[in-house]
Amino acid sequence: MQRGIAAALVAIGIASSGLSIAAHHSFAAQYDREKPITLKGAITKLEWANPHIYFYIDVADRGATVNWAIEGGAPSTLYRAGWRKDSAKVGDVVTIDGFLARDGSKLVNMQNAVLADGRKLFVGTQTYYTKGR
Amino acid sequence: MEALRLFARGVVATAVLMLAVPAAAQPPAPPDMSGFWINQYTPDLSAALGKQPPFTEFGAERWRTVDTAKDPTGFCLPVGPSRGFTAPFPFLLVQHEKMIAIMFEYQSIWRAIYMDGRTHPDDLADYPYFMGHSLGRWEGDTLVVDTQGIDERSWLDTAGHEHSAKLRLTERFRKTGPDTIQWSVTYDDPVYFTRPWSIERTFTRGKPGDRVLPYTCNENNKDVEHLRPNQPNLKYKHVPEPPAAKKPPGEY
Repeated sequence: MQRGIAAALVAIGIASSGLSIAAHHSFAAQYDREKPITLKGAITKLEWANPHIYFYIDVADRGATVNWAIEGGAPSTLYRAGWRKDSAKVGDVVTIDGFLARDGSKLVNMQNAVLADGRKLFVGTQTYYTKGR
Repeated sequence: MEALRLFARGVVATAVLMLAVPAAAQPPAPPDMSGFWINQYTPDLSAALGKQPPFTEFGAERWRTVDTAKDPTGFCLPVGPSRGFTAPFPFLLVQHEKMIAIMFEYQSIWRAIYMDGRTHPDDLADYPYFMGHSLGRWEGDTLVVDTQGIDERSWLDTAGHEHSAKLRLTERFRKTGPDTIQWSVTYDDPVYFTRPWSIERTFTRGKPGDRVLPYTCNENNKDVEHLRPNQPNLKYKHVPEPPAAKKPPGEY
């Protein structure tokens, strides 16, 4: 039952986040739904800019540190969902669930993000202003 | 004297006429559609239509082979006149007797709908607009907009429905309540479709004080370097619509 609820929540998250990028271009032209990934690291930079926000995290990988790019929703959509450009700060540790870029670069489309204290970050992009279908 | 009497009778008759029909002679004022409106997000028009549009052979082959990595909006090219109303971003409508302006948050782009009775320019085909050239008129309480000269590089939706330079849009905007507009759009493009087809969506008024937010697409469009060819419809099989049944003579 727990797993069923979790799966449903993930599905809702994917659907809503997928919407945000689908406005600009097809999700599948950039990301691979068959390649989910979870990453954890400290934010090194945040770009609150159109058409979609990007932020970057340092992820420990077998003794090295790899900087990953994380793509989120459109700034206006996130703003209306209550997020601000200082909702996350450089140094905040965040865990990301998302999908890998198809071109093999260190880039992930964010579906869910959780800060170290358990707060969600830059999610819930389907709002009153983007109600679908 | 007789002439004077006739003149007086004429004056009285005219006055009576003017008194009798003032209300009937004046068309009702058109409804005010100004404001901040929220789209009904529709990334795939066929979902709203319930099936694929009636493709020509050419249109079907374009749909089968479309590469969504080539979506013009992915490169920040303008969204096109109808897709602006199906994207997940609001718009402002400013209404004037001689012109209606649509200002989309998405791409911070606009449409001018000329209401002054002009015609489309003769050289429109040579100088198309990504957002088309739009003429509007009121039919009762309905705003009817004819749009032509739409640059064929724009797409109709995110799913990858395309169109030719011959696309002609007919849109109908009708207020169905103080806070809702019913929008119907007819796509007429003989290159891509065998007949005109239509969908209907609803715009919902925003909250008082709502504002459009910045959307400058090229500000940080990093996506473009990561796009890779993506053809999701290669298995699509085109089934042409059966020809419309011919009515027997005498039936209408």
